[in-house]
Amino acid sequence: MINFILNGKEAVSNAKANERLLDVLRGEFKLTGVKCGCKEGECGACSVIIDGKLANSCMVAMGSLEGSAVVTIEGYRETDRFHILDKAYASVSAVQCGFCIPGMILASECILSRNPSPTEAEIREGISGNLCRCTGYNAIVDAIDIAAKEGKGLW
Amino acid sequence: MVNYLPISLKNALEIRASEVVTPYGGGTDLMIRADEKAVYLFLNKVPEMKNIEEDSKYIRIGAGCTFTDIIENKLAPAILKEAASQVAAPAIRNFGTVGGNICNGSPKGDSTLIFYVTDSILRLVGSKGERMLPISEFFLGRNKTSLNEDELLVEILMSKSGLNNYYYKKIGARNALAISRVSFAAVLDALDNRITHCRTAFGAINDVVVCRADIDAMLIGKTMEEASRIKDEYLDAYDKAIVPIKGRVSAEYRKTVCMNLLRDFLESNEI
Repeated sequence: MINFILNGKEAVSNAKANERLLDVLRGEFKLTGVKCGCKEGECGACSVIIDGKLANSCMVAMGSLEGSAVVTIEGYRETDRFHILDKAYASVSAVQCGFCIPGMILASECILSRNPSPTEAEIREGISGNLCRCTGYNAIVDAIDIAAKEGKGLW
Repeated sequence: MVNYLPISLKNALEIRASEVVTPYGGGTDLMIRADEKAVYLFLNKVPEMKNIEEDSKYIRIGAGCTFTDIIENKLAPAILKEAASQVAAPAIRNFGTVGGNICNGSPKGDSTLIFYVTDSILRLVGSKGERMLPISEFFLGRNKTSLNEDELLVEILMSKSGLNNYYYKKIGARNALAISRVSFAAVLDALDNRITHCRTAFGAINDVVVCRADIDAMLIGKTMEEASRIKDEYLDAYDKAIVPIKGRVSAEYRKTVCMNLLRDFLESNEI
């Protein structure tokens, strides 16, 4: 049994210590906004936030999480910050197929929570572990820049 | 199944000594080949392994420090910060640890190369006490290290001086999330235009990092002008010493890149 905080609430997992967080979130907790792309830490589709830090949930074993706080897109979408990012992404059509977007949004949050006014280079660095095969990234970079301006004071 | 998540080094060492466990730093290498039978000893909450401190001689880096911890720390030497900032991407840097990078045993470890070129010392602690081992003696072959079954790598000791003038280049297929195809680091220290210290290291080209103090010794005690005069001899010695193996790229490519980087390092120091 592993006790941790999931999207702000106390959670108990029956998973084994060596199971991947990704599989547990999708299988045990049915949080399917967490996408499985590569299981090698290369694509960022499974991104979540652990104790305030962006993480690839495919690279995290459950046993390491006892007492930690995990946020997935399902929890993050309830925040005001999400709504700013949601609007910004939509305003520049930064979403095409959408598979990378849950991870991309959480990467955006981690950029802005560390640095509310990032430069373009800092935005690109911040999403460098999140692959998108549709958009060519420019619209996503624009969206994060817009969110930074529209969300002044939120981050 | 038991979950081994110690919250002190003492507790971690007790488990390590009494069970067959796989030490788990941040998981970013281990989980690529997640093993259903693996019993991990999670070290991510052991406070004694998370510190970065200095004493009179060394900067002591806790083996459980993540690349992000190092980038954000004031004491960590610039050469280590630069290599850490080029590892993978933010999410991996947030969890991957220097201890894991070393103990994984790969010659491609980006921080491993830095610890080689800085002649760093590993503090290995086991049930019968501790030993201080120069990193060059830790690697026995590809993925083979001299870490004993009851031991943990607790700290890496880096010299406090002589590391400011450094050179570091990582060659990968892309900017982010790249595994090194060739990596090269060097440090050179001079006093009154005379070379007092020089060390070079080549990563990702063979089973272990190539680091040849005996060849670098050719430059010690020389002025830049004297070093320039024996440059060809020095390059020839490395030309013989560097025997890359074929990987995702050819051995010839690796060799050419190594020699180009070595020349560039010398030229950047006007040698």
